[in-house]
Amino acid sequence: MSYIPGQPVSVVVQRIEIQKLRDGDNLILGFSIGGGIDQDSNQNPFSEDKTDKGIYVTRVSKGGPAEVAGLRIGDKIMQVNGWDMTMVTHDQARKKLTKKNEDVVRLLVTRRSLEDVVRQSMMQQPTH
Amino acid sequence: MNRSLFWGCYDSDIQKKIDYEIRMREGACKLLAACSQRDQALEASKSLLTCNARIMAYMSELQRMKEAQVMQRVARRSSDAGPMDDRSPCKGKVAISDLRIPLMWKDTEYFKNKGELHRCAVFCLLQLGGEIFDTDMVMVDRTLTDICFDNTIVFNEAGPGFELRVELYSCCSEEDYSAGSTPRKLASKLSSSLGRSSGKKLRAAIEPGACSPTSNGGGATILLPVPSVPGPKYHLLAHTTLNLSHVQDSFRTHDLTITGNEECSYWLPLYGSVCCRLAAQPHCMTQQMMSGCLRVKLGGEPQGWTNVYGVLKGTNLFCYHQKEDMEANVEPVLTMCINKETRIRAEKDPHSKTQNICITNQYGGEEVMHTLGADSREDTQHWMEAFWQQFYDMSQWRQCCDDVMKIEQPSPRKPAIVTPKQGSLYHEMVIDTSDDIGTVTDILTRRIDDFELRSQLGAPPHWVSLFEEETPRTPHNYQHRPTAHLPPHSPSPRLHSRQPRSPRCHRSPGLLSSNASLTSDGNSSASVSPCFRPAWSPDTPSSSGRFRPRTLSLDAKLSTLRGRGYGGFQCTCQSSTAVVVSPRPSQTALSCSSSTSSNSSSEGSNSQESDVGFSRRSGARRSLRNLRAKLDPRNWLQSQV
Repeated sequence: MSYIPGQPVSVVVQRIEIQKLRDGDNLILGFSIGGGIDQDSNQNPFSEDKTDKGIYVTRVSKGGPAEVAGLRIGDKIMQVNGWDMTMVTHDQARKKLTKKNEDVVRLLVTRRSLEDVVRQSMMQQPTH
Repeated sequence: MNRSLFWGCYDSDIQKKIDYEIRMREGACKLLAACSQRDQALEASKSLLTCNARIMAYMSELQRMKEAQVMQRVARRSSDAGPMDDRSPCKGKVAISDLRIPLMWKDTEYFKNKGELHRCAVFCLLQLGGEIFDTDMVMVDRTLTDICFDNTIVFNEAGPGFELRVELYSCCSEEDYSAGSTPRKLASKLSSSLGRSSGKKLRAAIEPGACSPTSNGGGATILLPVPSVPGPKYHLLAHTTLNLSHVQDSFRTHDLTITGNEECSYWLPLYGSVCCRLAAQPHCMTQQMMSGCLRVKLGGEPQGWTNVYGVLKGTNLFCYHQKEDMEANVEPVLTMCINKETRIRAEKDPHSKTQNICITNQYGGEEVMHTLGADSREDTQHWMEAFWQQFYDMSQWRQCCDDVMKIEQPSPRKPAIVTPKQGSLYHEMVIDTSDDIGTVTDILTRRIDDFELRSQLGAPPHWVSLFEEETPRTPHNYQHRPTAHLPPHSPSPRLHSRQPRSPRCHRSPGLLSSNASLTSDGNSSASVSPCFRPAWSPDTPSSSGRFRPRTLSLDAKLSTLRGRGYGGFQCTCQSSTAVVVSPRPSQTALSCSSSTSSNSSSEGSNSQESDVGFSRRSGARRSLRNLRAKLDPRNWLQSQV
């Protein structure tokens, strides 16, 4: 999932649709994020490439909307409702996820295992 | 501005490059404005500087092309064709590597032990023709005797008259650097006191078009001045220009022209020279300049022609039996030297109407002559032309044509090697009040686990399940607990007494184990619970009370209280065998949850487990603490959404 600046990134993604949960006055998603272009990417325990300044999922509340939707810890968020998350600051990312007038967020996330699985399944295809 | 209109129909290639660089520059500006850490700001500033330089270079190239087009049109109009057979030398690759700039600290500096280390961030900008490259950034302080740049930079299309300009930029690396930051601080103060919208306008006014290109009236440096970008600024410290006469297949020392003086903040005491290896590979040495079928007269007989396939490359003319031999790397039948001492002339063949090519060489004291013939007159002409071109190239490239200089192709830039922060051990330790004595031992051996952990975080096999079936069920054996005489929700005795648990009575065992992988392990609960007692001993069965099911919100509150930094590591439980500790974390790496207790019940109730349990759990605890330390919000900001 490392990138070359200026070049398009291509990854295998999974679409995850999270229905926000109303908790009094708040809408919660049930996970935490880390990362951002203004953060120190060396501290990210989930990224393969320590220069990756993307937004990663650092915690998923058990039974929360995110977990139910299929989000997992360590996932890298590529897009939120169409907004790019690969080159944003931490606060920008948080804001895109916590818009009050949105009940649903549709994420595109990627994780290493997705690539591996796709590759594995491609290799296992019997060639006709 | 509609760029295409402005530049007309000029080379779209350069236009694309300019667009690309402008996008890169915008990205760098954005990054510079957003970053908070010094290193990032320095790197972003360096990228910005490089982008600017490249944009300048491309624009001046476009300008030159425009002028050339105009000149051509003028020439054509005056129907003065001019000599068309101006020979131009071939191009070549020029590589510069192993740059080293010695420093000359005063001896008092070396031995100064107190006071802050005056550090500068430096890098080199190298320009040849239209290509500009930057080296990696190096931090320099008085502990270094030389500034070394490990990069190898290869310029691909250089003529023999090339000029390689080397510029050394440096930036002082202290907190309150130049005036560049002041306007920004002032702007933010003003904007915050004036209110949002008017403040925004003011800010925009103070920092107008930070990334707009400003034209440079042919300045001495490659740089494009962009004064209004906040952040660290690099200044030119020294420069030099290298050309063909400096090319050699080994290291050489060249003089540096130093700009700036001791008063400048970015000053470094340079010795005044730069060492590097400047190599050149002209194409005439590495590529086939001419190839085709020839006849060679071998031996002295007048009629003894042999058909060969000739290839002119470098300082040799290789003659193969046939073309396929050359491709198969078979040894050539005949190799003729073509170098500065070779004489070639065309003469009329006495026996036929065609022209022959005579190649004369001096081998030792002897003169050796080969006679070649081509199939037709045109071919002969082509070959002669090729030979003349080769001679011309060799005369232009001079010492580069003696032998092929080796140029290493630089590998694509790897991400900077991350060295672990050399903080003190205290900085790295995250000790909760609930931790037991085993903590210290754990921490001391943590380094080893660190590596294991990092390597295992990326490849959890249970994600495969996402593609095999829809339910998030782990294929682990955890679900088939041989010793599961304990329904998951029954209160597990002793060890996890006052653990917070989520209500789970209704869950099935299968789902539990899948949840088990998704939740934090019992260890985490053990260590984070404020009530936890170090008693892993087996002699407190069912003594410590029961579970109180808690609500989700309380769980959430607890987890936020403890800081958000703990991820899930499956407790190594379930199976009754005293298994090895290390493989376990690998299978559970990506699980996390806010609730702490889920596995506590599954810790196993029989006393046999508890003995092994100790060692197992401390291992998992170690890994958990690793992740927790890493996710410590003091180190790395996380937000809950």
